Parts: sequence; structure tokens; C-alpha cells
Amino acid sequence: MSQVDKKAGLLRRTSSSKKPLKEKVVLMYDEIFAKEDPAKNNPRFWDELFLMKVNLEYLESKLESVDGEEVQRIQDNINSLFHHCVQALGEEHQIKVVNALQTLCALFRGVHQKNKSASGFDIINMLMGFDKAEQRMKDLMERLDSLLCGDGSESLKSLCLKLLLCLVTVTDNISQNTILEYVMINSIFEAILQILSDVSSRGQHGYDAVVLLALLVNYRKYESVNPYIVKLSIVDDEPTLDGMGMVVHQALTEYNRQYKNKEEENQGGFFSTLTSMVGNMFIADADEKLSVQTNEAILLALYEAVHLNRNFITVLAQSHPEMDIAATPTTPTPTTPTTPLGTTPPSLDMMSNPELPLDPNLQTSNLLIIFLKYASIVMQDTKDEHRLNSARLCLIILTCIAEDQYADAFLHDDNMNFRVNLHRMPMRHRKKTVDKNIPSRPLVCAVLDLMVEFIVTHMMKDFPMDLYLRCVQIIHKLLCYQKKCRIRLHYTWRELWSALINLLKFLLSNETTLLAKHNIFQLALLVVNLFNMFITYGDTFLPTSNSYDELYYEIVRMHQVFDNLYCMVLRVSTNTGQWKEAASKVTHALVNVRAIINHFNPKIESYAAVNHISQLSEEQVLEVVRSNYDTLTLKLQDGLDQFERYSEQPKEAAFFKELVRSISLNVRKNVSLNTLSQDLLLKEFSTIS
Amino acid sequence: MEDAEPELSSTSSDLNSPSVSLSSSPSLSLPSTPSSSCGAPQAVTPPLGVISEGVGELSLMINAEVAQRACQEVLQKVKLQQVEGDVGPDPETPTSHSALTPVVKPLKIRGEDNDPEYPAPGSVKSARRRQRHNPSKQSWLLRLFESKLFDISMAISYLHNSKEPGVQAYIGNRLFSFPHEEVDFYLPQLLNMYIHMDEDVGDAIKPYVVHRCRQSISFSLRCAWLLGAYSSDMHISTQRHSRGTKLRKLILSDELKPAGTRARRDLLALTPFCPITSSSSGPGPIGGDHGLSPSKRTHQRSKSDATVSISLSSNLKRTASNPKVESSQDEDSSSSSDSLEFETGPPVRLTPQREFIKSLMGIGKRLATLPTKEQKTQRLISELSLLNHKLPARVWLPTAAFDHHVVRVPHTQAVVLNSKDKAPYLIYVEVLECENFETSSVPIRIPENRIRSTRSVENLPDCGITAEQRAGSFCMVPNYDNDDEAWSVDDIGDLQVELPEVHTNSCDNISQFSVDSITSLESKEPVFIAAGDIRRRLSEQLAQAPTTFKRDPEDPSAVALKEPWEEKVRRIREGSPYGHLPTWRLLSVIVKCGDDLRQELLAFQVLQQLKSIWEQERVPLWIKPYKILVLSSDSGMIEPVVNAVSLHQVKKQSQLSLLDYFLQEHGAPTTEAFLCAQRSFVQSCAGYSLICYLLQVKDRHNGNILLDADGHIIHIDFGFILSSSPKNLGFETSAFKLTSEFVDVMGGPDGDMFNYYKMLMLQGLIAARKHMDRVLQIVEIMQQGNRHSHARTHTLTHTLSHTPRLHLPFCLCPGSQLPCFHGSSTMRALKERFHMSLTEEQLQLLIDQLVDGSMRSLTTKLYDGFQYLTNGIM
Repeated sequence: MSQVDKKAGLLRRTSSSKKPLKEKVVLMYDEIFAKEDPAKNNPRFWDELFLMKVNLEYLESKLESVDGEEVQRIQDNINSLFHHCVQALGEEHQIKVVNALQTLCALFRGVHQKNKSASGFDIINMLMGFDKAEQRMKDLMERLDSLLCGDGSESLKSLCLKLLLCLVTVTDNISQNTILEYVMINSIFEAILQILSDVSSRGQHGYDAVVLLALLVNYRKYESVNPYIVKLSIVDDEPTLDGMGMVVHQALTEYNRQYKNKEEENQGGFFSTLTSMVGNMFIADADEKLSVQTNEAILLALYEAVHLNRNFITVLAQSHPEMDIAATPTTPTPTTPTTPLGTTPPSLDMMSNPELPLDPNLQTSNLLIIFLKYASIVMQDTKDEHRLNSARLCLIILTCIAEDQYADAFLHDDNMNFRVNLHRMPMRHRKKTVDKNIPSRPLVCAVLDLMVEFIVTHMMKDFPMDLYLRCVQIIHKLLCYQKKCRIRLHYTWRELWSALINLLKFLLSNETTLLAKHNIFQLALLVVNLFNMFITYGDTFLPTSNSYDELYYEIVRMHQVFDNLYCMVLRVSTNTGQWKEAASKVTHALVNVRAIINHFNPKIESYAAVNHISQLSEEQVLEVVRSNYDTLTLKLQDGLDQFERYSEQPKEAAFFKELVRSISLNVRKNVSLNTLSQDLLLKEFSTIS
Repeated sequence: MEDAEPELSSTSSDLNSPSVSLSSSPSLSLPSTPSSSCGAPQAVTPPLGVISEGVGELSLMINAEVAQRACQEVLQKVKLQQVEGDVGPDPETPTSHSALTPVVKPLKIRGEDNDPEYPAPGSVKSARRRQRHNPSKQSWLLRLFESKLFDISMAISYLHNSKEPGVQAYIGNRLFSFPHEEVDFYLPQLLNMYIHMDEDVGDAIKPYVVHRCRQSISFSLRCAWLLGAYSSDMHISTQRHSRGTKLRKLILSDELKPAGTRARRDLLALTPFCPITSSSSGPGPIGGDHGLSPSKRTHQRSKSDATVSISLSSNLKRTASNPKVESSQDEDSSSSSDSLEFETGPPVRLTPQREFIKSLMGIGKRLATLPTKEQKTQRLISELSLLNHKLPARVWLPTAAFDHHVVRVPHTQAVVLNSKDKAPYLIYVEVLECENFETSSVPIRIPENRIRSTRSVENLPDCGITAEQRAGSFCMVPNYDNDDEAWSVDDIGDLQVELPEVHTNSCDNISQFSVDSITSLESKEPVFIAAGDIRRRLSEQLAQAPTTFKRDPEDPSAVALKEPWEEKVRRIREGSPYGHLPTWRLLSVIVKCGDDLRQELLAFQVLQQLKSIWEQERVPLWIKPYKILVLSSDSGMIEPVVNAVSLHQVKKQSQLSLLDYFLQEHGAPTTEAFLCAQRSFVQSCAGYSLICYLLQVKDRHNGNILLDADGHIIHIDFGFILSSSPKNLGFETSAFKLTSEFVDVMGGPDGDMFNYYKMLMLQGLIAARKHMDRVLQIVEIMQQGNRHSHARTHTLTHTLSHTPRLHLPFCLCPGSQLPCFHGSSTMRALKERFHMSLTEEQLQLLIDQLVDGSMRSLTTKLYDGFQYLTNGIM
């Protein structure tokens, strides 16, 4: 009978498409929203319903349009619909499963649209009924779990993940989504892991799975024990963690690639001299097209993995030669490429492409390199809110990495040298460096380069104080590691020194405007203490004895900045005011720098006088420095090599809350109705059934 | 042996073997014998008969029996009946004369232990015994064969030279009585003879090879690789049907499973339904085969014991294999298949190792496609890190001297070596030493970061400190790591004194406090330091550090090779998750892909032979033969010489003359360290000068000469020896390379050390001359493939006329086409270089001439200049 019905419906629809004739399914929806039990007259009502093509818009709008009192009346029917949806998931008939999944999507969304203000409990009651909610959700999660883990259709799995994403993002604030409490009890963590560990399923669903995981981890993170956090922190299965890393790797690579293409497009016809000015505008323009937002979710996932799971750190260094993908078993390309999420799935084509050519020009890279490149792009422009958030998250991730012993070990590994082409903002006063000339160095050099780059390029009116603090702290953590392990990194420290001095200069010249918003003394203290690290512990980590001389040279050369800084902090600390304490700390920190300046300046002047030279060459100054060390006494300062470990709570909690909210909105927008469109699915299953 | 033994025994002591099998068969459970008819015997006789059967089938050689009969006849002519007793591999045979019941006992031991040493001493002893009984009737040849002097070298030589099938067959059997290591040395010769000589020789060798293959996986694989390599130059059609290819296939098909394992596996299958058998047959085969004491006669006990042992062994295997690896789906090969061994039973004995080698070769091939050294290195590191995921597994490095399992490849330490178009690379391999890599369980995988300090949520409760304490320490010093948190502030104060040492060594806490800052934290008095001290410490520490080479992206191996081995081992051990295990060892290996190492192997053999000759004659010449593993005609592995860098690298990095470098590394000319190094240099120079002369080693640029930390020079790369030289440009006409720099290190041409050098050479040449045959033989047999084998003629024209494939040009005629055998006079020239006819005085003159000639040689300089211009080698 249902067959006949279906045929008739199809015929009608195609033959008289212009008339606003109601579809059969719409009529059935109407029946559900009537008072009576739809199955009363037609015992096979539910069976038939799931054979119909779902009309998501109609169902959702119907749910939204229901007003307060009506809810009470139709609640039983909706509960029944939910119940039957869950049951239909267990059906062998795949079309029924598909339709049930989509109906569930519509239910979750519709009910939440309607009841934005309602409490979570009301929503649960409306959907499932309080008494049965626990059982219903348990059934639902179990069914989803078995669908995800089974060897059924890939499109079906993708739909399952979409349903879950839909469920997770129905509220703006994930922690207010009370239904998720059941997702906490009935964990689908293992299913997510399984998707990530398997090469072929990772290629197709990895992105959704990682996003879902990132969101679930953030459910009531600070208030309750979230089992996903606990579970994520103890995963130690390498293929799974690797899989997760691969998904992030691919997503970021794809973004980097797109950015590079855009950049090249925009800069193609210009002379390099012109581009420095014009290119700036164009890049800003190009960036807008490349939404950073979509990557926030992936970045969050990377953060959670790095922050929570100590085994994940190894994945960062895990090199992925192109053949890693090629080595995977040739997976049949999915017959129905339902774009997962529509959130610009990271190079699906790249992931499913079984044989990538051995490109000799392609550098071997690892997740960390890709991440650094990505960060260099994102950090270029922090004006827009999303970019600022992304940049902040990037720096937080780097902070976690810099604190990790193992990560530090491979960052400094002398045998693992890489060329990392960081993106540099084109600026008027500097030439765009030729990419090719970057030497192959340990990865930590790239991190330091990135930090220096950030410091140099963000001295602006709208001063990103928070980012600066993180940036300087990352450098400090790396230095602490080098000091402790006595690693003499061959890095051109001079660049860092001059960047830091310029930063101090900027703080000084914009004192009044900055002080209105920020505690600049905190940053100044950190910067001065970096210098103190070099001055007092330079012997443990500087690469050559010359570099120590150069440090003194740089300080003496820029003594004006330090002098001014000292005057400023001295002034502020003698006045009474909110900055008194902070400023006086800086005065104390400056003691050695001032000692150096006061010691060497007269010596240099007298050297010039004695030798009748007006302008001393660098070599001459260095000579004076070298010969006058012994009469200089420095004061040892406390705790230079100590730092505060990163902790998410309570400092960063607000940031992450907002971030998750914005990600939720974005994901919800992208799990749009049309991505759930079933045409392709139906095509796939019509041959099966 | 297995081929020959049953026949022999049937002729002489007919009663013997039948009685054994008769007596044993009822007790040895009937079902197993027929079931293992294809080559998994439990009784004495079945293995022998069965092997010949199986082999015969596979190789389609009908005349195997004929050959056997022939050899038997000749043997009987040549020697007396008793001899065959010692020929037999089974130590049981003599005992079996006495009683029937104990026959089972040694059997059990053998089946279970597979003790390779066991047959040898037994048979030798029995041979001696018999020899004493009636020496008079033996022929002179036989007396030689049975004498104490008859060693493996002579055996190989007779096998090669004798045309008597009987003698060959006898020697084939005699091989069983030599220690395995001795025969192993001649394995290339044996297999080359097997491939390229006539069938009599092949049949004589085969039983031994098959027997050893059954015993050992590594022997099986070595054979298979060598067979492949030495067959590769044959014409493709001949090759497919050649004996070598067939034997190789047989080995790789894993038909030659050790009898013991097979039996065990059969038993596993049988256990559920065999209690009746065992209970009816008294001391059942199960108990027996599992090495349980045969005295346990009760059915119940033997049965239960057997099952226990079975379940134990299988369980051990299962637990040993990593469950995680097994379950992971990405895993394709080695380790998981290894763990599956017991469940499935298909030929997986050799698989893990073959896969391992294959992946190493695959890496080499892919590296060759990359243009720059830097890309190669990066790629190598990443490829190896992937390889790591599949370790530990039942794989090993064939170049190592002890049994082990590979557990990890410290991928960041790997380097690409200098080579123009190929991509040889050097890897370090962490292994765990074990009793026996075939039977010991594979170590469990330890994740890469297991040694790290803990940080995750789940570890916090395990820290063993109360929340109060933690909170306290957090307040006090907020950035201490967990380990430090466990210490109260007092502890830190106490530890202060010792801290400097701890400080430098321990690298495991991230925010390790500095001594200085703690002191200042405690005493609020300001601490002053002198800037001069800091600066001084910096330069002192920099000066203290051992001289290292500067990193050069174009020569990544220089730094890696310069680092002292001990230092490297310590460093890698620290960073390894397996480093804490007492059986941890570090090995290194050079993987060569696209290079023919057969000549290197030949050179290794010659060097090794000369080394032992010189040791035997107590000539203090120093040479370092490095192990070569031939995997095919264009791939292989080399055991790197540790603590050695090439002269090219020395010169390029130090920019010093060799003597100055010696002074820099070892100290002033009068110090003991320098004198030691100088002596080492002279002894090694003399050794290698002789070798270069005897073998005509060419292509002697500084990239091919290493200098080790003790001052020895080591020549590497024997790609051009005997009759071949690079590009035949006619450079390097001198006997060996002796530059003025070398002479300077020796203290100049008038110094004592230089005279010592010449004297050493003379002594070395005299000693080598004395044992010339041992050297010649190695080379001569390897020439075998070049000459066609049928008539075993040594003239090429003759061979050609007999070869049906006349259309083939000379160089394509079947056989191993090693360039060192180019031309027809290779052997004669080699022999001549030993100068048998000269007196010692004349020899001394000769040495003087050679040395003078080499010193004055313009061509050496020319060649170095040529290399500098073309390859940038200094």
C-alpha cells in the first residue's frame, strides 16, 4: 500500500508541479499537529511517514508556529514522533533511517527555535516527555553509536554526525543545552574516536567528528565533570591521535593554501614596490573572503587536544609526508559526496585522493609547521573580532606547547630542521623577504620568528595588549627551557632584542593613550625581565661568546629607551596612583640594564675621546665592552627563570565561553537545511532498497 | 645431509633406521606423521626423507636420487661403512644402536630446542672415535678429510675443485659438522656454487642449506637474499628455472618451517581431539615434544602438562604482541601479522622481517627522487617516524652480532649520506637484546612520550601529595612542575648543595629552578655577580664542549658521524621510552638502495680473511672489515664504522692538514695520546695499503677513507677492486694511496714510524702469502658465475662455445657479472700479487718500491684533484 501511495505522490508532484498541492508528507505532518493520535485511524501511519521524503522547512516552521497552549495539546503527538524517529533508526530500511535522522534534526531545531527563552527542561518535556526522556535519549545515542561504528553507508554516518552537530548547536550557549546532559551520560566518544582512527572514515567524516568533539568537550566545562574531557585527556592510541592531528592538519593546510592563492592572485600584476602599499588593501579584501571563522572550530579542537592530552604533543611533531595519505588503502570515493557541514570541508578532494604525486618541491611538514604558518596568517590582521580571537587562540596553543617538555624537546631538536615560510605582513618600511632564502633550522626558530614578527607588526593605536603579553611569555618559556637544558640555539637573537626595545619605545611614546586602557607596566616588566634573562643567564644558552657582547652592545646602543623607561616608571612609582606598585617593580627590574649602561657609556665615550673618533664602529664598541666586563657587577634577580603555568580557569574561561558561542553559531548556520538535503542520499539508497 | 642419510643408513645398518622409526612410530602418535608428510617430521628418519621428497618435487629434479646413489657408491669406495654414522647429522644415531627406548629422548630435545649446536659436536666426536678404530683402511684423501686440519676453508676448496661427485657429497655432509659461524662465513661461496656450478655440487650443498633454513629464520632470509642476488645476472629465461631461484622460492614460501614449530602447531590443532591418542600411547608425543620430562608416564599428567604448556606458550605470544597494535586498523603488516602467527598459521615466519626490509628499501627509493639533501633528510625523518608506529616487531638487524628485537628507530637521528645520485642513508636502531629472536616475545610498545612529566587531568591524583601540599607549593612557587611540587621548600634547601650536578644532567622538569634564584629567594640579601664571570663561563663552556662539526645542510652526515658513539648512545638512550630497559642497545646501519653490494661483500670476506690470517700470524696490522648484507643485486645494508668521519669531512670541517688535525684531536706530538693515535694510524695504514695493493682497490679519494677517533684510517667503498676501476681513466696507477699528508702523520719519510710502517707491510705480506689459498679461494669461487659452470672450465672461449645462447655478448653470459671480474686474467693477476716466487729480501725490496712509488705518485694527487673538481671532495 505504501508503495502505491508513494508512486501516486511522485506522479502527482511531477505532473502538476505548478499547483501548490500539498505533499503527502505535509498532510501527514498536519495530522501530527492535530490533536488526535495520527495512528488511530491509520495504524501504519508511522511506517509510512518515514518512507516519505522529509520536508524540513515545513516541519520546522510548523513547530515554530505552535503557540503556548497548543503545545500542551500536541505534546503527546510530538513525543510519539520523537519516539518513532528513534525507533526508525534501528530499521533496516535505509530510507527510513535517513528520514528519521532528518526528522530528528527538524524536531530539535524547530522546538528550540520556538522556545528560545524556555528552560531546557521544558524542551525536553515537549520532545520526549519527562518520564521517558532518559530512555529515549539512551536509545537515540545507542542507535547513533551503532550507526557510526557500523559498516553502513558513509552518507548515513555523515548524516548522523550532522544530527549530532545540530543537537549540540541548537542553543547559542552550549552549556544551556540541557539535552546534552544525556549525551554526557550516553557517551559517543568512542564512536568519534573510531571515526578518527580509521583512515577512510577519517577522510570523510573527520572534520565533523573533530568539531563535534571540540564542542562536546566545552559543554559545562567549568561547572561539572564532563566525561568527554576526562576521556580525551587519557586517549593514548596513536593512530587515533594521529588521525585527529591529520584532520586539523588538513583543515589548516587548506586554509593556508587558499590564502596563498588569493595572495598571489591579488599581487600578480603589481611591482613589488607598489604592492607594499596597495597590496595591503587587497589582502585585507581577500581575507574577508576567506573566512577565519570556519577554522575557529578546528583551532579549538587543536587547543583542547594539546591542552588536555599529553600524548597529543607527539602528534604535533609527527611529520606527514605526502605519502602518508597515499599509503592509506585506496578508499572508494564516496558515491555521494554530501558536503559535510558545508563548512568548507578541508580539502575533501585532497583527503580522498589516494595517490598524490611525489612532488619533489613539496616540503615535508608536520602539524606544528602548518599551525605556525596558519598563525602567521591569522596574526597579520587582528582588527576583526574573529581574527583577534583566532590569533589569541593561536597564542594560547603556542603557550601550551612552549610549556610542554616533549614539545620543547622536538622544537629544539638539532636534527629536525625545517624551512618554515611564515607569512609576513607587507609593510612600507621593509622589503618582502624572499621566501626561498629561509634557512633550514630547528622549529623553535620559527616560533621565535613568529613572535618577533608579531611584536614588530602590531604596535598600533588599538594595542592588542593581551596578545603582546602572551607573546612575550611564550618567548620567556622557551628561554627558560633553553637555560635549563643548556641548549645553545643558533638564532639571531639580535632581531629579538631590537624588536623588544622597539616595543618598549612604543609603550613609552604612547604612554598616555595606552595607560587609559592597559597596564603597560606588566608588559614592560616582562620585556625587561627577558633582557635580565639574557644578561644573567646568557652563559647557559647563548650560542657564542660574541653574542653576549652583542647583547651589551645593543643595550648600550639603545640606552636612550631604557633611560626614558626608567624615568617614566620612576615618576609613576613615586606618585600615588593605581600603577604605583606595578611601576616600581619595573624600576627594580631595570637595575642591571642601568648598571650596564652606566658602566659602559662613559668607557665608550672616553675611548672615543682618547682615540679621537667621533663615531665608533660596532667592532670598536664591542672591543670596549669586551675589555671592561670585569669591573661591572650585576645584581642577581629573583625568579627570572620562573613562570606562571598556563591554566585555563579562571583567567581564560570567559574567552572560551565566547569562542564556543561563536563557533556554535557558525556551525549551526552551516548545518543548513540544504546540506541535509536528501536527494543524493535517496539516489544512493534507491538502488539498495 | 637429509638427502643422503637415509640411503646411507639403509645400506650399512639397514636395521638401524627402520627400527628407530618402527619403535618410535607407535609412541610418536601415528596421526602426526602422515599429517606432516610434506616436511614436518617428528621422528629421526622422516625429516630426512621428507625433505628430499619435498625438495625434489619443487625443484623437479628427477636425478636427485641418481646423484645420491652415485655419491653413495663413491663414498663407499672412498671410505668405510662406519663413516656414514658420523656423516649423519643426528647425534642420536650412535645412541640408537644401544637401546630403542631412549631414542625418543634426544628426539624430544631436538624437536623442542632446535639446538643448532647439538648435532655438530656429536657427529664430530663419533667421527673421531670411528677414525681411531680403523685408520689404516682409509684413503689418503679421506684421512685428510677426517683429520683435525681439515677445516671449513679446505672443505669449500675441495667442494669447488673436486670433480668427484662422491667427494662433493661427502663434503656436503661434512658441512654439518662445522660450527655454524664458520660455515656462515662461506655462505656466499656455497650459494654461488649452488647456483652456478653443476648439479652434483648443488645436490651436495642443498641438504645442508635446507637443514639450516629450517633451524633459523635469519639464515633462511640470508640465503634467500643471496640466492636472489647471485642469480640476478643470469639471463631472464635461465634465471626463472635455475636452481637458485627455485630454492629461493622454496625458502620464501616458508615451506622450510622448523620441524619443531610445525609440530607444535599441529599439536595445537590436535589438542582438542587427541586425548585418546595420548592416553593410548603412553609417554605421548605431546608431552615429549614439549620438552616435558619423558619420565612422566602417567597419561593424565602428561596430557595436562602438555595442555598447560601449550596454553602457556600461546598465551605468552598473545600477551607479548601489542593488543593495541593488533586492533588498530591502520596497521598493515609486520607486528600484527606477527602476533597472528599462532592463530592463522600461514607462512608468516619470514614476513615481518621482509616487510621491514622492504619498507627501508622503499624509503631509499623514494628519497632518491628528491633533489636536495635537505629534503631527503626531512623526508627520511618523517618516513622513519611512520615506520616507528609499526615497531616493536619481530624484526632485527641482520648485521648485529646478537639476537634482538627492533623496538624503535630514533627517527630524528637518521641522516642521509653523501652520494651523488643514490640516497644511501644511515639510521640508528634501538633494539632490545633477547635470548632468541624467534622465540622470545616481542617487547610491548611504549608510547613515545611515556617518559615525560605528567600533566593531564587523570594523573593529578596519582602524584601522591595531598591537595593541601599542592596548594601550598602552588602558592609558594607557582611554576614548579609536578615533580617539584612533591618537594617541600625544605627539601629544596637541602638539595641545594648537590644541585649543580643534578642541574646539568636532569632535563625532566620544565621550570626547573635555578640554584641561583633559590638562594636569593631564601636569603633576602641581594646577591651580586660579576658580568665578567658570566662572560668567562660562557666562553669556557663553549671551549669545553667537544669539537663538533658545524651543521652543513649539504653534508648532514658529518655532524652525526663526528659525535662520539658513546655520547650518541647516551643521548638517544635518554630520549627513548625504552632507554630504561637493561637490554636496550643501540645499533646503526646504512641502508643502500640502488647499489650492488656483492663486491663489497666479497671485499669484506677478503678483509676478514686477511684479518684473521694476520691475527693468527701475530702481525699487528689493523683493518676493520665492516659487515655487509646483500639483499639483492642492487640493494643491501652496511654496518657503519662508528666514531669515524671521512678524511674529506675532516679536511673540509677543520680546514687543517691531517697532521694538524691529529694534533688538535690528540694533543702534542710527544703526548701519549698522540703517539697512540699515530701508532694506530700507522698500523691501519699498513693494513690498508696491503689490501689496496692486493685487491687493487681504486677510487681512493678522501671521501672513501675514514678516520676514526683513535686515529685509525679505514677504507670504505670497495666498488672498484681487482679488474675494475672508475671510468677507466687510468688514474690511480699507484699501488695504493699514500699521500705526503699521511707520511707527515707518520713522522716523515725518515722517521721510525715510517720504517715501522714498511716493516708491518712486509710482515703482513709474508703472512698473507703463507695463507694465500684462503684468500684466493674466496675470490675464485665468486668468479664462478662469470664462467659457465657446466664444464667448469676456466677459459672463457671454451665457455662461449658451449653456451647455446651465442647471440649474447660476452658480458651477458649467465652468472654474476661483478665488474671486478672483468677480463680473463683477474685471478692470475691476483695470485701474482702475492709474489710466491720472491724471497723475503726481494719482498722487502718490492715493498720499498711500492711505497716509494705511491709516495711519488702523481696520479694520486691528480685523482684527488679530479675528485675535487668533479665531486667537490677535498
